[in-house]
Amino acid sequence: MTRFDRWLANSGAILLGLLWILPLLYAIWTAVHPAEYEARFVLDAPLTLDNFAKAWAAAPFARYFLNTFTLVTAILIGQFVLCTLAAYAFARYRFAGRDVLFALVLLQLLVMPDILIVENYKMIRTLGLVDTITAIALPYIASGFGVFLLRQTFMTVPQELDDAARIEGAGTLAILWRVYVPLAKPTYLAYGLVSVSHHWNNFLWPLIVTNSVETRPVTVGLSVFSTTDSGIEWSVINAATLMTSGPLLIAFLLFQRQFVQSFMRAGIK
Amino acid sequence: MSLTQTSTGRAIRLEGISKTWGDTRALHDVSIDIPAGSFTALLGPSGCGKSTLLRIVSGLEQASGGRVLIGGQDVSQMPADKRELSMVFQSYALFPHLSVAENITFGLRTRKVPRDERAKRLDRVADLLGLGDYLSRKPAELSGGQQQRVALGRAVIAERPVCLMDEPLSNLDAKLRQTMRTELRALQRELGFTMIYVTHDQVEAITMADQVVLMNGGKVEQAASPRALYERPATPFAARFIGTPPMNVIPATALGEAGAKLQAQAGRRLLAGLRPEALHPCADSALRLSVTGAEYLGADALVQGRLGVAQVVLRAPGHALPAPGETIPLALAPRDLHLFDAETGGRIPPSDPASLLVQAGIPAGPTGAAAPFIQHEDH
Repeated sequence: MTRFDRWLANSGAILLGLLWILPLLYAIWTAVHPAEYEARFVLDAPLTLDNFAKAWAAAPFARYFLNTFTLVTAILIGQFVLCTLAAYAFARYRFAGRDVLFALVLLQLLVMPDILIVENYKMIRTLGLVDTITAIALPYIASGFGVFLLRQTFMTVPQELDDAARIEGAGTLAILWRVYVPLAKPTYLAYGLVSVSHHWNNFLWPLIVTNSVETRPVTVGLSVFSTTDSGIEWSVINAATLMTSGPLLIAFLLFQRQFVQSFMRAGIK
Repeated sequence: MSLTQTSTGRAIRLEGISKTWGDTRALHDVSIDIPAGSFTALLGPSGCGKSTLLRIVSGLEQASGGRVLIGGQDVSQMPADKRELSMVFQSYALFPHLSVAENITFGLRTRKVPRDERAKRLDRVADLLGLGDYLSRKPAELSGGQQQRVALGRAVIAERPVCLMDEPLSNLDAKLRQTMRTELRALQRELGFTMIYVTHDQVEAITMADQVVLMNGGKVEQAASPRALYERPATPFAARFIGTPPMNVIPATALGEAGAKLQAQAGRRLLAGLRPEALHPCADSALRLSVTGAEYLGADALVQGRLGVAQVVLRAPGHALPAPGETIPLALAPRDLHLFDAETGGRIPPSDPASLLVQAGIPAGPTGAAAPFIQHEDH
């Protein structure tokens, strides 16, 4: 690589990085300054936290947070349990129709969930679950991606470990719990972070299936908040936006090391 | 129950075990008797079915036919963990996420042995195997030899009457392997369990085992004590497999007049087996080797040459190497001559080889291979 090449690559990266972070910077700028400074970028603009207080008071964000937290936790637990069991079966058992079933699971990866919104809604209605947190979580709990990811990880566990545990008297579920799951920890971490961030940000399905404060997650709450009462007061909307994405941002910064590493390790294996 | 007292091993009996996968036949009617508390090695080239047989004994694999009896009880349908045995794997199969102590006590925890009892037994095993300083480490932080000991510890802590090992030393370097051989043998004697030990290394089998079961192509070639296996191989395969360098198995006619007579006597075509250490240069003999090359090893040398048309290797003292192209007369003790049926491969006892060889002008040198029929009994 010549010097010019490196210079070109570096400035390209910096440019893309700036473009990517610009909306976030703008949101931070407007959120911490009074409304007059929305389009006036001067260095001596006064700092304020009023926008956050206003946003917090204007809508039941505490409730929305609780809803989202319940939602992502429920989805994560459901996905871990179901995907672990399914992945173990696909990875280590021979049964009739296994390959066909696994192909069907993979097929699920190709289907955009949004295509199924109408069908899902009909199903949820039949179950009488409209406007509940269960209804938001249910379509996502059996995750094809999770099954696939965990199956691939389980298949890298040496058969001899399985045999050794079996000789030592561990039953099927004990082997799964004491051998496979601990060895797949990096995969669980990576998958967990992806799942949490995806469902934290998910918007369309919760928007359709919820219609009350008690069930709405923050994403829907935010959009309701920004379209109705506050008009186009960007400073308050951006303060609310930062607030809703804040926990995720902080979590990502905390976990980013393990996050990136576990994805890399999942690739190497 | 104490680790230092001799616990009782159980006898194992395999009756007509066979195993097929689709069209491939991995094991063919294998029957073996393994006395209680003995050390039996399953020996054979890779792919001969020895590991499969071990897995069938362990219960990790189901036989397609035949019965497995442990301590007189038919365990063929019993799952692996009910057969009261332990197993050491080639890769050691240590759990990478558990510490050494947790690895060793894994089986005790799954079987719900109380904590105090676990700690007591762990102490004893750690002492026995010299693992005391490493108990809190993870397997990845240990050397190959230490990992091997942890695997042994996990196998012996439960004090099972039967222990199965699948090439446990093959990942160690040569020097460590030698010390571990001695240790393993001592450990087995001390604890008194019945051992089945799979290996492809004849040195391991010969040095450690009470009984060697030599396998080839899914069948038992010969089951015998190491000494009997070396001194009276039952088939040309057994003859070639045991011994370094292997026995020369040549058509009997290559022995000249003596060979022809032997064939005439037996009334069929024969193969003659001559150990490299059984052939000795002498003053004069009808048996003449034309030397084609030599390999100097220090204490002795391997001399390659031809008897008639057959390639033969012999072990000669290192100080007087014959040059290629020379012809040397060879002496052969009659009891070092092994004869096999050329068609069936069965061993044939020579009726009176001594007078026959002398008549044919082959002098009897010192016996190179220890005298097979005198000092001890074998079957």
